[in-house]
Parts: sequence; structure tokens; C-alpha cells
Amino acid sequence: MVENRAQPVGLGRGFWTVTTILAVLSIAAIVFWSIFPLETYLPAAIVTARQVDHLFRFMAATGSALWIFVAGYLVYFAIAFRAKASDPPDAVGLQIHDNHKLEFWWTLIPLLFVILLSVVSVRIWYEVMLRPENGIVVEAIGHQFYFSFRYSDINGEVTDEMHLPLNVPVTLNLTSADVIHGFWVPAMRLKNDTVPGLVTTIKFTPRLTGRFPIICTQFCGVLHSEMDKQVLVIEPKAAFDTWYKMWQEKNAHASNALPAAGGQAVALAGGNATAGKQVFEQKCTACHKLAPFNEVLVGPGLAGVLHDPSRPNLVNGQPATPQNVAGILQNGYTGSMGTMPNATANGLSQQDIANLVAFLDTLK
Amino acid sequence: MAVAAVHSGGIADHIHPEPQGFVRRYVFSLDHKIIGIQYIITGFVFFMLSGLLAEVIRTQLLNPNGGFVAADTYNEVYSVHGSAMVWLVVIPLLTGGFGNLVFPVQIGARDVAFPWLNMLSFWIFPVAGLMLFSSFLMGAPTAGWMEYPPVSLQGEAGTSMWCAAIFLVGVSSTITGINFVVTILKMRAPGMTFTRMPLFVWGQFATAPLLMIATTALAAALAALFIERQFGVPFYDPTKGGSPVMWQHMFWFYSHPAVYIMILPAFGIISEVLPTFSRKSIFGYKLIAFSSMSIALLGFMVWAHHMFTSGLAPFLQLPFMILTYVIAIPTGIKIFSWTATLFGGKIHYTTAMLFALGFIGLFTIGGITGIFLAAIPFDLHVHGTYFVVGHLHYVLVGGSLMAIFAGTYYWFPKMSGRLMNETLGHWHFWLFFLGFNGTFIPMHWLGVLGMPREVATYDPQFAFWNRFESVASYLMAFSILLFFVNVLWSIRNGKRAGPNPWGARTLEWQIPSPPHYYNFKHVPTVYGLPYDFGQPLPYKGLEEELTDSPPPVTAGAH
Amino acid sequence: MSVASLARDAHGEVDQLYIETRELRLQGFLLFLISDCVLFSSFIFAYLYLRNSGQGWPPPGIQRLDVAFAAWNSVVLFGSGATMHYALENFKHGNWMRYMWFLLATIVLGAGFLGGQAFEYTHLIYGEHVTWWGSGIFGASFFTLTGMHGFHVFIGVCYLTVLVLQSAAGVYTRGKFFGITAGTLYWHFVDVIWVVLFSIFYLL
Repeated sequence: MVENRAQPVGLGRGFWTVTTILAVLSIAAIVFWSIFPLETYLPAAIVTARQVDHLFRFMAATGSALWIFVAGYLVYFAIAFRAKASDPPDAVGLQIHDNHKLEFWWTLIPLLFVILLSVVSVRIWYEVMLRPENGIVVEAIGHQFYFSFRYSDINGEVTDEMHLPLNVPVTLNLTSADVIHGFWVPAMRLKNDTVPGLVTTIKFTPRLTGRFPIICTQFCGVLHSEMDKQVLVIEPKAAFDTWYKMWQEKNAHASNALPAAGGQAVALAGGNATAGKQVFEQKCTACHKLAPFNEVLVGPGLAGVLHDPSRPNLVNGQPATPQNVAGILQNGYTGSMGTMPNATANGLSQQDIANLVAFLDTLK
Repeated sequence: MAVAAVHSGGIADHIHPEPQGFVRRYVFSLDHKIIGIQYIITGFVFFMLSGLLAEVIRTQLLNPNGGFVAADTYNEVYSVHGSAMVWLVVIPLLTGGFGNLVFPVQIGARDVAFPWLNMLSFWIFPVAGLMLFSSFLMGAPTAGWMEYPPVSLQGEAGTSMWCAAIFLVGVSSTITGINFVVTILKMRAPGMTFTRMPLFVWGQFATAPLLMIATTALAAALAALFIERQFGVPFYDPTKGGSPVMWQHMFWFYSHPAVYIMILPAFGIISEVLPTFSRKSIFGYKLIAFSSMSIALLGFMVWAHHMFTSGLAPFLQLPFMILTYVIAIPTGIKIFSWTATLFGGKIHYTTAMLFALGFIGLFTIGGITGIFLAAIPFDLHVHGTYFVVGHLHYVLVGGSLMAIFAGTYYWFPKMSGRLMNETLGHWHFWLFFLGFNGTFIPMHWLGVLGMPREVATYDPQFAFWNRFESVASYLMAFSILLFFVNVLWSIRNGKRAGPNPWGARTLEWQIPSPPHYYNFKHVPTVYGLPYDFGQPLPYKGLEEELTDSPPPVTAGAH
Repeated sequence: MSVASLARDAHGEVDQLYIETRELRLQGFLLFLISDCVLFSSFIFAYLYLRNSGQGWPPPGIQRLDVAFAAWNSVVLFGSGATMHYALENFKHGNWMRYMWFLLATIVLGAGFLGGQAFEYTHLIYGEHVTWWGSGIFGASFFTLTGMHGFHVFIGVCYLTVLVLQSAAGVYTRGKFFGITAGTLYWHFVDVIWVVLFSIFYLL
């Protein structure tokens, strides 16, 4: 087997000319991506959006340069080394099996690049996922086929636009009332799925006022395509406060119960305490003990919740009455105290709620 | 007439009598080459059907408000399109099709280890395919090829049919995987060590364990979905204690290796076509073989990069991101090695070679956008958008499909004895290249701007590029029509090919075109790699193969 | 493969074809068992994932499992593994009658295990808390996994019965008995799966 170890023919002027051209094109691509004004096409509505754009530009620049070289050499070699009509029919090329130095470098350089990219992307991952501080708690709930929003001091739900105040950190809890949806605001460069039975959280700080589309990105049924009509409105705090007050008043007399099929408050009459005890053991003991209020697992202990006068009010500030407890079970709670998942996330039917309330009523 | 091979009386010396009758020869055939052709024909039929579905998709997307089909129908169309392309086209063509067709001869074997199971494997395939398409009659699945619960729990009967159909074709895949692993481990010709195996065989050897192991994991996920839908047994329904995210884990644990099932054999095809039409040795044989095996292994460790938005704990996300980046290294090694193979060659622009060259350029784009998607912060932006649709079509069409075309032009003469028409082939290539890039490049940008995937209608701001993509897709479809015309015409009218029209060096080119049912009169002995053009062939014992002498048939029924 | 080298063809020559074909079948069968392992592993993953999703285990309202009974049933199954082992050993050493007795004992013990499963299922379905396949994630995971396993045992028992009939008809000789080897491997596989299932359902 002939192995050609000499410096191969062809690494001559043509090759270096092409290499220079490819280098120039790569630099042009790098410059292009570095200055590409992504924000004129898509505003950067939150602080970390710009960093995601930096990551995109970095990957686009390096990816373009890589591709330019690969495709460039591909085309150059395919043309430069084409079989010519003057070649004898059994002409063969240079039987080069390998070149250890070349192979070493083209293994090492990608490895170094992977390390570099890892460092860059872990940093930005940290900025997006872990660094943002806790903020005002808002909940977005996916439905077939719209998103609804809940705020700490607004009863019930906001069902059209989501409003947020400028420059105020937000903790957005996401869940779904039915199937998995994808909550995406392109201007934020951030999305997360809304999963029934789970509460997922993203944290961010809005930095730009405006109206930004909210788009569902996880197929959720026949009208999934239509689930791109809602908007996120980021506005100055004063305007936000006005909007907030408007919804507080609008929903003031809204039942605290999540609109069930009929949209009515929970019927508590048919509650069965024994069944309720089973539901409690199955669903609630992960976070609540049957113990005094201060024995907190995730949520407070629930001994005597409906009857002990020394206990404080419920987490949303309301007095502990059966209907108010039912409201929390149905609606869940998001606020400065944390998050209690709603009925759908917990998998509670109307009957379960009634049974639970009946059971809690037996606790002295 | 000196025959060097040792006669041990074993499998290599056992030639059964020729099968008689049309049914035994061409319908229920045990011959891996016939089975391979059956897979290829069936795969191409499903390809045409699924391609029609793709054109329904693109026609619907000509207008932001759709209007070509109802939203529900559209959802069925893209779901079946995706499912069929993965499970009824690319995987069967590359494994059961080209795998069966070529690698047993390349290793000097007479057939695969379990010919009867091979035949069974094939016949399951059209049945499963018909089952999948029959779902249109009962409300086809609408939640994409991924069918995430809980929405897939709401689907009509066709979703259960989808579960059953994919389960069944998975059985076919698993059997093929077992067959191929044993064949490669045990039935290589004397002297063919692993480091003398052609790279196409390495591609199949890396893929077969994936077929065997990953597919079974999908079977469990599908079975659970089926029994939940049909019998109310809760696995995924959160209102009954189940977990929708669990489906994603189980589904992607298979489906990520599945994408390597769809590309490793394609890498193998490229590694055969390039040296032949450069008239020189493949560059970096050992690294290419090793990188195939490492990609197969790493492929099992990255599944959750499809789930970055699903609510995984943040620290669980990180290892998947890093490991996905790492896969770029063996992939890059291959791409650089292929490019280096061209250096100093004598390159012939056959259609097969054009598709192989196109593969390298286009698959690289797909690989690069894959790295984009691996970066969690960027994925949190473009997951579930047309960026992903762009990426996946670059790797599966710009990658796998181009390799399938290359393989067809390359091995058609071996199997039919006739060459395909090169002029038509060149038209196919250039129109396809143009149409393909026009269809799928803009998708990346649309995804970044805000166009989600799996939608029947979209925001009017995306109208221009969608129309552009749809027109380009018609060009692509036309070019594929040229391909099929070429195939059908060439079977009858193609120029006679002879045993080795390309002057290639692997074993399949040292026997007649088409090969005899027994492949070799005498199993050769192998002395080296088949890629050193200009040197004598590294085989002994092939002297009689191209003569008219009768084969030494062993008495007795097969 | 010293035992396989006893394989002789019609001329009394070493049957190389059989030896090589047996190698293929053995490897293929082992790979099949590996892929079957993956199937069980996937459902085991599902069970552990669901069990871990924070609702307490077993969920309330579910009939408790009878660990003692299942332990006895396991002894029956592992016993059948031992008898199968001795069956194969005796065959290899040419002890025909002992081979057949051990084989029949395996079938009886295997069927006994299935009977025990049926008994346990009945207790769950008709017990104080009705617990069946659709009974939440407990029913889903327990009945699916033990049912799959029981189905594998059933197939095994059927196959061993076929072995009995084939052996009686003289199909297997001292040099050619791959069917018995495969049956033994399969039977041990079924035992190993049960060790895992017993541990994760009854001991965990």
C-alpha cells in the first residue's frame, strides 16, 4: 500500500489563495453577525433577551465561519482536483490515508471551541435561569385555547392581555388547566411549557415598554394555530397600577372559585369527610401536616384550620370559612407567601374539594 | 483455478439450491438483496405519499389564513407526514433497504445471520405503513409525530392506530438490528478484521445496536399510551396521578438515538461514494469508524435536549447541553475527513458524487443549527418554532435523503445491471439543491422572529417567506419526480452497467450485476482495506466470480 | 464449544454448519433477551418515576400487597430456575430420565407461580379496596409490569411443554440441543426480571 508522506502536491498557490478568500469571507460573516441589528426585527423586552442575542450572534458568527471554510474547501477541491479529459482512464489520486498532525488539530480545535461555547452558554444560562431575583408573582395558565393570568391581589383571572410594570422583577409561574401549552414571548427570548399537574417558573425583569405577542409553541389541539393573538403589555408602573386597579374592581365580585364547567362557586353540601381524608392523604401531605400552623412542610400545618380561633387568616388574607378554603383549593394561590397549586394542577375535582372541606371541618 | 479459501464445511461453504417460482424468488424471498429491494421500493412508495402530504402542508401555508384544508385536517397531515418520513421512509430505506442490499456482500457473506427473520422483518413494514395511513379513515393523529399527552389522550381513534402502527414497525426495526449485529460480528469473510471493514459496514454496525435497544424503549412508551387511551390505565394523565413529562422522557430516550439511526448509515454511504469518485483512499478511516461508534454511544445520553422547556430542574439541563456539544466533535472529524478525501483526488462528477458533495455542505448546516439548539438560552427562544423545522430538514433531507439519493444512483447499477441516466440525474441534483435550500433556509429566520411550528395559519408578517418556501418546495418536488422517472426508465432502458461501472473496490463490485443469489461462488479471503486505488485488490479467491462456471451448490434443501 | 463439537452430520463428520449456525442463534437469542430487558427497564423507569412524583406510596385507597405470599411465590419461581438448570445439566451428561423429570418439575413450578399470580390478582381485584389495572398509577404500573412478566412466564411454560414433546420424539441429541439451551436461558431471564420486580414492588 502506497502511502504518500511527502508534502502533497496542491498545497500551492491555489490552495492559499482560496484559504485567504475564505478567511476574508469568514471575517465578513463574523462582522456581519456581530453588528446584525436583531433588535430592529425583534425587540428585546427583558434584560436577559440581549444576552441571548449575544449568544446567538456568537454562534452565528462562528458557525458561519466554520461553514464557509468547509463548503469553500469542498467546492475548491471538487473543482481543482476534477478528473480532466486528458487523464488516462485508470488515473488515481494521491492515496493519503491520514495525517496525524492535521487530525490532531482538527480534533483539538473543535474541542477547544466546545469548551469555549460551554463557558459562554453556561454563563448566559445562569443569567437567564438562576440569577434573576424573585419578584412580583404572576401566574400564567394555559387553556385550550388561550392563556389566563392571575395576580396576587386580583380575584379570579385576567383573560385577555398580560400586563407587567417596567423594570420590576417578575416571578412567572406557569401551569395548565388541561394539556401542555408553550408560553412564549419572542421579545423576551424566553419560553416555558405550561404543564398540567406541574408549576414551572421563569424569572425576568422587563426593560422595554410595548405590546409583545404571546404565542403558544406546544401543539395543544385543533385551535393551536389561533393561540397567538394575546399580548404582553409592558408599561410604566403608574399605567400598570391603573390597569391593576381596573381589574381588581372588575373582578371584585368574581367568585373566588375557578370557573368550572358551570362557572359557579363550589357546592360544598355533598362533601364526605372520610373521602376527604383519603384525598388529603393522597394529595396534600406532600406540603401540609395535620399539625399546628407553625409546623411548616411547604405550606402551614392545617390542624384546626376552620375552628381554631388562634390561627391567623388564610394565606390570601381572607378569614377561614369553608367557602374561602374551597376558593383557595380551587383557585390556588400565588403571592408573596409562595404558591399553592390550583385544583387542576392538583388534580382535584369539584367533589374532591367538597370532600376535603368536609374533612378539614372535622379538625378541631 | 487455485482457490485460496479453506473449505470448512460451514456457512460460507453452504450454497443452497436456487429458489424456484416467482413467489419464492421475489415475494417471500429469503435473499437479503431481494429483501433490500423490497424495502427500498416500499420505502419510496411511502416517501411519495408522505411527500404529497408535505405539499399539502406547503400549499396550506401559502396564505397566512390557510384555506387549503381545515385546521384539523392540516394537523392530521403534518402529523402523518412526520411519522411516515421517520418510520416508514428514512429508517427503513437506510437500514432494511440499503443495509440489507449492500453490507452482507461487502463483508463477503452469503446472506445475513437470520434470513427468515429478515423476511419477516420486511413484511411487517408495509402492513404497519398501511395501518398508519389508514388512520386517516378514523381521525388521524393530530399532535405531530411526537404525540405529547395529555393532548394525544384527546385524539381520535387514529391516534391509537398510530401507536399500534409505530409499535409494529418498531418490531421490524428491532429484529433487523439483532440480525445485523450478529451478521457483522460472526459472518465476515476470512481475513476481514474490523479494521478492514468498509465504512458502510461500520455505519450499519453503529446503527444496529441503536435499532435493537432504543426502539424497544419507544415500544414501552407507545404501549403505555395505547392502553391509557383504550383502557383508561393512567400513565400520563396528570388528573389521575400520571405524568405528561414522563412521556417526553420515554419518547425522546428513543427518538434521539433514532435520529442517529437516520444518519449513521447515511454517513456510511457517503464514505463509500467519496473515495470511489475521487479515485483515492478515504482519509482518516480509523477516526471515521471510531467516530461512528462514539456518536452512537453519545446519542443515548442527550435525549433531554428536546425537553429544555418542559420544566426540568435547571441543573439537570446542563449536562445534556454539554454532551450535545460534545457530539459535534466526532461529527466534525467526519466532515473534515471527507473534505480531505477530495484533496489530491481525480474527481468524477457522477450524480452519486454530486449528492455526496451536497450532503457534506448541507448536513454541516444542519449540524451547526443543531449546536444552536443545544445552547439552552437560545433553545428557550426557538424551541417549538420553525427554527427547529429548518434544522431537522437540513439534517434529514439535506443529510439523510441526499445520501439515499446518492446510494440509489451508486448501487442501482449493481442491483439492476443498468446505469441510471446521468443527464436526468444532474437535473435532479441541481433543481433539488435549489428547491431544498429555498424551502428550508428561511425557516430559521422565521423561527427566530416568532413563527411557531405545527400551525395551520400564521401571522401575516411571515407571509412573504412562507410563499417563497412553498414555491421552492414545488421545485424540489418536481426534481424528485425526475428522480422517479429516471429510476423507472433506467430499469428497462439504462445503459448496461457490467460488474463494476465505477471502478470501485469493495466486494460487491467484484461480482456480477445483478449478483447471483448466492453472492459468491467462493467466499474470498480479505487482506486489506478496499480504498487504495491504483493498488491490486486486497482479495484472494475471486477468480471465478465473473466467469460462467456453475456455483458449487450444496445438495439438500435450504 | 466442546459440547457443540459433539454435533455430527449424517456421515458422522463434525457438523461445522450446525456449529456455526448455533453460534449465530445463540448470539441472536442473547441480543433478543437484551432488547426484552430494555422493554422491562422502560416500564420499570415509568413505575419509579411515577412513584416518585410525591403522592405517597402506595396511594391511599389501594389494596396493600401481600409480601409474604409473594415471597413464597418467588421461591416457587426460583425453584423452577434451579430445576431448569439441573434439567440442562442432566441432558448434557446424558441422563435422559432425570432430564425429563426436572423439565416437568420446571413446568409444574412455573405453572404454580402463574397460579399464585392469579390468586394474588384475585385478592387485589376483589379485596377490601378494589384495585385493578385502571386504579391510578399503582394499578397501571403494578399490573402492567407483573402482567408482562406473567405473560413471559406463560410463554415460557408453553415453550417448555413443546420441549417435552420434542424431547420425547427424539429431536434433541447430545450434540444438537440448542432448543433446550435457549429455553434455559429464557427461563433464567424470566427469573432475573422477577428478582427486580419483586424488589421494587414488594420490598421497596
